[in-house]
Amino acid sequence: MNELAQILDSVNLGLVILDTQLRVRYWNRWMETHSGIPAEQLVGSSLFDFFPSLNTPRFQRSCKSVLTFGNFSFFSQKLHHFLFPFRPESSFESRFERMQQSCSMGPLRDEDNAITGLYLTVQDVTELAAYEHRLLEMNMRDGLTGVYNRRFLEKRLEEECARHARYGRGFSVIMFDIDFFKNVNDTYGHLCGDLILKNISGTIASLIRKTDFLARYGGEEFCCLLPETVLASATLLAERFRTTIVEMKHVYQGMEISVTVSLGVAEMTAGLPSFEALLKKADGALYEAKRAGRNRVVVRT
Amino acid sequence: MPWRRPTNSGEDSMETELPSISEEEKDTLQEIMNIAFGKAAAELAEVINIFVVLSVPYIKVLKAEDLPEYLRYEVRDFSTISIVEQNFWGKFRGGAFLVFPADAGKALITMLDAEHETTFESGSMEILEKETLMEVGNILIGACVGKITELLGDVVTYSPPTVLVENKPHDILPERLFDPEYTAIVMKTVFRFDERNVSGFLFLVTTQDSMEWIKQSLAEFLEHYE
Repeated sequence: MNELAQILDSVNLGLVILDTQLRVRYWNRWMETHSGIPAEQLVGSSLFDFFPSLNTPRFQRSCKSVLTFGNFSFFSQKLHHFLFPFRPESSFESRFERMQQSCSMGPLRDEDNAITGLYLTVQDVTELAAYEHRLLEMNMRDGLTGVYNRRFLEKRLEEECARHARYGRGFSVIMFDIDFFKNVNDTYGHLCGDLILKNISGTIASLIRKTDFLARYGGEEFCCLLPETVLASATLLAERFRTTIVEMKHVYQGMEISVTVSLGVAEMTAGLPSFEALLKKADGALYEAKRAGRNRVVVRT
Repeated sequence: MPWRRPTNSGEDSMETELPSISEEEKDTLQEIMNIAFGKAAAELAEVINIFVVLSVPYIKVLKAEDLPEYLRYEVRDFSTISIVEQNFWGKFRGGAFLVFPADAGKALITMLDAEHETTFESGSMEILEKETLMEVGNILIGACVGKITELLGDVVTYSPPTVLVENKPHDILPERLFDPEYTAIVMKTVFRFDERNVSGFLFLVTTQDSMEWIKQSLAEFLEHYE
């Protein structure tokens, strides 16, 4: 085996050569390892016989533009996720069912520059894609409680308001705030406060639907977006939040602590100029609940 | 009104300083581009069902430092643009800039049937749009550059395309590719996807490095016809 061939078989990159009829001419060791298909079994056959999922208009178009124009073609992980359905290399990676790949394709020519086939490179970018996912997650979640952060909430709110404007179905929000939270922090310490924030956000998150969004809006203030929900249903849900939280016992260093919340509910209506106005309305209701003695739900119609 | 380099003095002294190509060479290059683009359009239609009309190209020789301003001037009618940029290397070397009106990506998605090809999460419409521009750009640039270099007897390789979506025209800054002191040949053509009612500009900019080779290839090309 010559030196170049040894390299082709040991690089951490999938390499494939196809002829002009898209039959496999070369399949390196990397491809054998990840596909479980030995080269001798596949060389000479159409690539699509072994990978029918590759037979898409986009892939065909790319092959044709490479073979006709000598173009280079690129398949990004962002859009395609993968070309070849391989398992991720690391079993620790549970986020992706398939190895995430970044692939490219280019022409191969003979001495007279005539195109005789094409090559494909397959790069495993699973780890990179996982990092990206993690960064995106971090960017939209609150570090302490794991619920969404304010930035994400506001973006979501804008989208939901646009959807509401299009379809006109119900859309409500609940703003709530832990009563006398400063006293909890002063009496038991911030770690106890953090524990209560985590307990409450976790419990509330389990009470809402998959399509709802719970976000930590400020220190001890939370906001819950309820798409496709009219004011009456939102009010019932807010009451449920309140009674559930009242009954919760937070255990910190052997002590049992209970807290209450005040809640404000508002619905998006045609008269509201923006999503900020909706939040302001719910916030106004929350303020009113505080003033009226806390541990209660106030609805703004 | 054609673009002219702004000069401090009244006389336009810049043109004479450029290691320029002759009028005859310019005509020949234009003719070659014409043939190349005709072939490219025909094959795009025949092979991958992309129907594009490419206008008669226009050639301009200028100093590389004037490129950004020239490009800005040429696309002044677009308020926001998307640009696909791809560099090519061979004896013929330079950069290709495909300028679309900003909303072109959406219109082209259906042309490629791309909407059926992938399950994309919400919010990735932007990605799909960007990738569509990139693919159309890659195909169009590859076909045009490929045919020109083929006629001139060269083979080039390409960098992966990059795309800038919805920018203001003043963001076109290809200068990092070029030494400002160098001469650049700009080949401009208007492309149009009639079916989608999308049109834009293709600029091919070659560097001074390939000037000698271009001149020589043009001479050889002419010999075949004489």
